[in-house]
Amino acid sequence: MKLIHITKTFYPGSPKEVKALTDINLTFEKGEFTTLSGESGSGKTTLLNIIGGLDSATSGQIFLDDEEISAYSEEKMAKLRLHDIGFIFQAYNLIHVLTVRENIGFIMKLLKFDDKQIETRVLELASILQIEDLLHKLPGEISGGQQQRVAVARAVASRPKLILADEPTANLDSKNSERLMKMLRMLNEKEHVTVIFASHDKYVLDQSKRIIVLDDGVVIDEGL
Amino acid sequence: MYKIANHLAWLSLWRRKTRSLMVIIMIALSLAGLLGLQGLYDGMITHLINTTIRSDSGEISLYAKEYRLNKSLDHILSSVSQIEKKLLTVEGIKSYSVRLQQEGLIATAHKSLGATLKGISLEREQNFGQFNAFTTKGTYNFGEKNKGALIGSSLAKKLHLDIGSRVVFTAQDATGEINSISFRISGILKTGNPALDENSVFVSMGKISQFLNLKESATQIALRVNEADNIKKVQKELQILFPNIDVLRWDELYPLLIQMRDIMEIFNLASYVIVFIVAALGIFGVILVSVLERMREFSIMLAIGTPYNMVRNQIIIEASLLGFIGYMAGAFLGWISLVYMSTAGIDLRSFEAGLEMYGYSAIMYADMHLYYFFQAFFAVFFATLLSVIWPLRILKKIKPIQVIQGKML
Repeated sequence: MKLIHITKTFYPGSPKEVKALTDINLTFEKGEFTTLSGESGSGKTTLLNIIGGLDSATSGQIFLDDEEISAYSEEKMAKLRLHDIGFIFQAYNLIHVLTVRENIGFIMKLLKFDDKQIETRVLELASILQIEDLLHKLPGEISGGQQQRVAVARAVASRPKLILADEPTANLDSKNSERLMKMLRMLNEKEHVTVIFASHDKYVLDQSKRIIVLDDGVVIDEGL
Repeated sequence: MYKIANHLAWLSLWRRKTRSLMVIIMIALSLAGLLGLQGLYDGMITHLINTTIRSDSGEISLYAKEYRLNKSLDHILSSVSQIEKKLLTVEGIKSYSVRLQQEGLIATAHKSLGATLKGISLEREQNFGQFNAFTTKGTYNFGEKNKGALIGSSLAKKLHLDIGSRVVFTAQDATGEINSISFRISGILKTGNPALDENSVFVSMGKISQFLNLKESATQIALRVNEADNIKKVQKELQILFPNIDVLRWDELYPLLIQMRDIMEIFNLASYVIVFIVAALGIFGVILVSVLERMREFSIMLAIGTPYNMVRNQIIIEASLLGFIGYMAGAFLGWISLVYMSTAGIDLRSFEAGLEMYGYSAIMYADMHLYYFFQAFFAVFFATLLSVIWPLRILKKIKPIQVIQGKML
């Protein structure tokens, strides 16, 4: 994935105008395990959202496999998100009327996997993330840490090419953070899934193969 | 895609039972009120028309030409038995009543008023329109030697008459002489037809014929028709059979009643539209809130790649299910209230004086027609459809991530 001259300005032309990102040029190779780091308000979440097509850049281009996805229509972008990108949000964002089992299998269901395949994958992930006992429960009936594990399972269930995780450990204790990172490392290594975090958690930074540091919307450091 | 949307819609309704139940109750109550009101309004006007038909006009009435313009005994139906014979040959006539009337002066020892003396056959009127059911005081008969009279309730009140009171009626007979005849009040009638209750004294046909010096004569022959749909057909036949007699339908005889019905229909429509708007706004509001409060949930679905069309279908299916279940419950409640109001009626006797002034009964009965339920169905359908259009437009325009991050809504 290539980001070329990406800028993002909120409320352009108004007194409230905020420049969130300025001239970002980055390349992400397949199988990367990267963290976008920086203080709160540095623009890491905005950049992650633009990479995932959840937000659009004010200017600049984004290419995925040499195809410009920044020019995609909303419908085409939704399709891309469904097929190729898994999201892990800071606030879990599970669907509250669905059970844990249904949440994990939701994207697979949308992708028309058959019920048997979905069940096998759900059980596999539930076993890895140790949430087998929670499968019949609704998100409101489980803890924050458990919800985050379900969110991870949902994001990886359909084996997307890219996983975007926004502060995934922010609401987790150290044990759960460790478990989550281990799971994502395993996916990255075994299935060559590209993982991009937005985080300032030291533990996440320690686990990352590449760190991109943002400050006030500008990349100030980039290293392995 | 519909299968998943359908499944999600069901789950969403089922797993939020309280909210779903509240929406259904709200729709059901609005609808039941709407149905009850419509039935009651229609029942009021139907009662007015039925009372007029039962007590006076029948579905069709025969008059001598010009009688209705000049109510003189020079323009009356003669050879009544010949007419009756011919009537028996007409198919579709259920019953008929021969009446002879003359306007004059009714007097008591203290007061006199203009009134109409009507000669009737009690037995025929009973078959014709269950006239005996109108008796509120005394008995439904003309007493010994037919010297009694039945009197309209308002007229009796004005003249301070009670059962057993004596009255004298003065009128011009067929020869032009002014004659008087006395009667004793044997019964008081309340027909609900203001023209009769305020103005009429009913006596036996023999007595009035003798008083007016007439034989085999009548001023009106009123007919009841078997089927309401047959009225025009029977009228046509009678017009051919009696070319020199006016054959008029009840709506031609009482154009005011038709005007009243039309005005009432406009009033009903206006009331119905207002109640519908209130009910529709209620349904709209409840469904709108139920969608808006879940905007975050829908945004999450969109953010993780759920196609907009699927979320749209889910919202429409959810709203439709709520609307449909609400409709079924409302139609059931409405049906129960209509059945109750059409059999037991609503007792409004505390407003009796005001209602009777316009010919309405103090106990109101509702009408019930199948089309009420079709109308109500479309009302709910459109209200439901309208209620999802706005949230769907919002959902189409928003960036899901802004809702998820709490920057919108």
